[in-house]
Amino acid sequence: MAFNFNWSPLTADADFYARARDLLTNALNKSPKPPIIVDDILVSELNLGTVPPDLEILEIGDLAEDRFRGIFKMCYTGDAFLTLKTRVQANPLNTYLDSKPSFTSPKPLAAASGLTIPLSITLSEIKLSAFIILVFSKQKGLTIVFRNDPLESLKVSSTFDSIQFVRDYLQRTIEQQLRNLMMDELPAIIHKLSLQLWCPDQVNKAADAPKPEEADEAGIDPFSSPPEDPVDSNGNPVDLNTLSELSANGAGEMQGLFSQKNLLRLGALTDSHRTLSLFTPGISDVVFRAWSGRGEGSDHLTPAIGTPSLSRTHSAIVGNSTTYTFSDTGSHAHGHLPSRPSLVSLQSASAGMALGVGGRARSGRKKKTRVVNLRRKRTESADNSDAMTETSASDTLSIDVPISEPLPANSIPEHPEAETMSDVGFDTKARFVRDEKRTVGHQPSQLTTEVKFEPEEPAEAAPEPVSETEPALRGTPDDAKPRMFKRANLGHERASASSDTSSVILEQAWIKKMAGEIATRIYDEKKRGDGPAFPNQTWTEHEDAPPAYEAAAH
Amino acid sequence: MREFMDYVHAAFYQATGWNRDNSYAALNQTPDALLDFQTPRGLRLSLSSLASPNFATSYQVGSVGIVDGSISYLYSTEPLNVLLMPTSEHVSLPQLLRSYRPLAPLPMREGPPGTQTPFDKPDSSLLYGRLYLPQSLLEALVVKRISPALQLQMSAVSGSHLRNGGTAVGLAQYDVGRYALEGLYSSDGGLLGLRGIWNSGGDTTDPATAVKESDRGKPERERIYGRFSTGGEIYYGTLNKSGGVSLGTRFATLPEHKGTPLSATLTLNPLMGNIAASYAIVAGKHCSLATRMEFNVFSYESAWAVGMELWRKPLMRPVEETKWIGGRSFEAKLAWRLDEPRDALPTEESRSGNEEEYAGVLKTRLDQNLRIGVLWEGRVKSLLFSLGSGIDLRKLDKPFRTLGLEIQFSS
Repeated sequence: MAFNFNWSPLTADADFYARARDLLTNALNKSPKPPIIVDDILVSELNLGTVPPDLEILEIGDLAEDRFRGIFKMCYTGDAFLTLKTRVQANPLNTYLDSKPSFTSPKPLAAASGLTIPLSITLSEIKLSAFIILVFSKQKGLTIVFRNDPLESLKVSSTFDSIQFVRDYLQRTIEQQLRNLMMDELPAIIHKLSLQLWCPDQVNKAADAPKPEEADEAGIDPFSSPPEDPVDSNGNPVDLNTLSELSANGAGEMQGLFSQKNLLRLGALTDSHRTLSLFTPGISDVVFRAWSGRGEGSDHLTPAIGTPSLSRTHSAIVGNSTTYTFSDTGSHAHGHLPSRPSLVSLQSASAGMALGVGGRARSGRKKKTRVVNLRRKRTESADNSDAMTETSASDTLSIDVPISEPLPANSIPEHPEAETMSDVGFDTKARFVRDEKRTVGHQPSQLTTEVKFEPEEPAEAAPEPVSETEPALRGTPDDAKPRMFKRANLGHERASASSDTSSVILEQAWIKKMAGEIATRIYDEKKRGDGPAFPNQTWTEHEDAPPAYEAAAH
Repeated sequence: MREFMDYVHAAFYQATGWNRDNSYAALNQTPDALLDFQTPRGLRLSLSSLASPNFATSYQVGSVGIVDGSISYLYSTEPLNVLLMPTSEHVSLPQLLRSYRPLAPLPMREGPPGTQTPFDKPDSSLLYGRLYLPQSLLEALVVKRISPALQLQMSAVSGSHLRNGGTAVGLAQYDVGRYALEGLYSSDGGLLGLRGIWNSGGDTTDPATAVKESDRGKPERERIYGRFSTGGEIYYGTLNKSGGVSLGTRFATLPEHKGTPLSATLTLNPLMGNIAASYAIVAGKHCSLATRMEFNVFSYESAWAVGMELWRKPLMRPVEETKWIGGRSFEAKLAWRLDEPRDALPTEESRSGNEEEYAGVLKTRLDQNLRIGVLWEGRVKSLLFSLGSGIDLRKLDKPFRTLGLEIQFSS
């Protein structure tokens, strides 16, 4: 998987600059201006430069032909510049008096008389560093939200560079204005531009509809349904309350995102399932995940016919190889993407959406519930052990997965993977010298950290660890986990026979790594069992866990 | 409309023999009153009272979308009821509302330190406080006379929206009549200021020589008789390293002048290249006019404004006059005799001669942006009212920018 960002076509389009200038001019004149600026601010020159920003992909939450959702880290130290023209008040005493109460004004006679001077300000050497949430869908256009204040530094050069006071004042004022622009106005501008590009019909619709609604939609989208287990840019878990503050817009405005009619129908749908009513309201203008992503859907449907455990393992692999899910899983349902299609295939299509979580639990058979038990314990163990480890960034990110999804239907290998991540920064080799499979588990874990961002490279690198780990796995036949994963492996090979060999090898490496990792985890917990924060009872349960799973698997 | 507390404040200066117009800051007072008068916004009611000779209170409630108000108290060490007519029913309208005010006589305190005029009351002081609600903005003013020629003034504003929670300005005024100096310090930005004024001509010349001159050449004095005031100001902000300078001069006729009263000022800001000239004149018995022209030699920007003040007599008076001029009364005609001479006539005449005859004043102004300000102030029964509007001729679809009515009652 590779992304190709073209920076120069943006600059080649002359029309683009004209439009961007207009939008920026409007945005700059919207907020009340400081007293030193006495005229409208006009954007006279705008150049995005030749140096593109550095983008680092932190997370891709959702990926399809027509939609994309991800979190990026952007650093920009390019040669873009922006020239603004306005008129400013050159008399510092005049601006001084403007902001003061008249009662304590020194009341100068003519010393405060104004002198307005046309001014052109050039903003250059812009340094940005930001976490960006990017949401794109063909229907709704492109939405970009900055999670932090993106502006790092900025050089303001103007006609008044020789006057210290005015220069400082301008620098301060403009930085403040630009921060507001970045945080509030830029997402709206980009949204509008994207609507013009991809869905002109939406633009017309937006023009017909009341304007604020459109703006709300642009601003709110990523926060419209807060993630169940949000983390901030450093990976520390965020309280839900603070998140609702983060979203800045009240809960009332969130309503605007959903069609009232459809909400009512969804309500009716859930009600009808609670009773014995056979009435199923039709929901218009709804595209179900199951219908839209054909390529993915077919992939998942095949294993769904097979045994549940197999399908689960497989779907989880798909999930892991494409995304590194650590948060936001609940809100946009992309975290459930691997498992949902199988569910939809069991239920009626329309019911699938509404039932969601509840239906899955009910559809589980006895075997499944036993799997549930095992998973629960392991989740706890993961939590506990993670609580004891220091929280490196990747660590805390991964913890949240088990917390948010204690449900049975969740993909199994997600946890080993998550634990792998947590152990990367923590475990020392010395600890596992005694046991072979632990070191085995440790090695691929380092590999996977690279895998998640640049999947192409590790695909080639993957076979190496495989050859090493394979004998190690076979060398421990009485351990439950490797066996399970061999089964999973088998199932997977059956399911995706069409997929190319490199990805198969990669996935094998993943599975083996996970197997080793689970073993490492259990050993780790045993070792730490006598710690005060970890009750003995808990890890004795874990000792029992593998047989329980074995029973489920057979 | 001039607020009651401002009126009381002026009365305090009058009572203590301080001339607050003898300051560089007040150089442009006459044209500014004619050209920059405030038009009211929204509805505003104020209730004021001089509760005791030394104590005044004022309550104000206003509504511009939201309801707000203020409470203010004033205490003076000097009794004010002698010089002040506090009741709105009887207060002289010109005294309260007149924009064109003739020059007040200069206090002559020249000579050894401690020389004072008979009106001077050293050691007098004034305390004033005003609380705005619901903004919780507090204004405070302390005026303290140290010596006949020296007065200290301290004003402060406290409000949560201000930087550092508030600002304070200290002002020291030194006035010996022929010249006056002021030094000020503002806590905001550490602003230091110094301004001074020098008077020459007219009544500032030695009284003895003035008398001699008046004896010698009366026709010369008839021609023009006024006072020149020249001054300057300089400001420096110690924290933000910025400053400002201006120079100004004024010629204004004295009340003794027999011709048309006029006032002309010229101010110059050499740093910013701003030149402003204003001219105010009492065009008729009930009318004053003012113009101002500004020009900036650096940016070639210019501005002008014209203003007018028109005093109106009450409607009833002409009716009374016609009744008196018209021949005999009906009874007299029936009796085939002339009317008896009326005793009431002389008193009627004296009352019309009094300035108290005015019913109200109309003030208008127009500036280069074609913005018109209209203000109609007057008295209905015992209420003083002020009705004003700001009109923008450039936006004819919605010309009324502001509209307001202010009603004042005081006792």
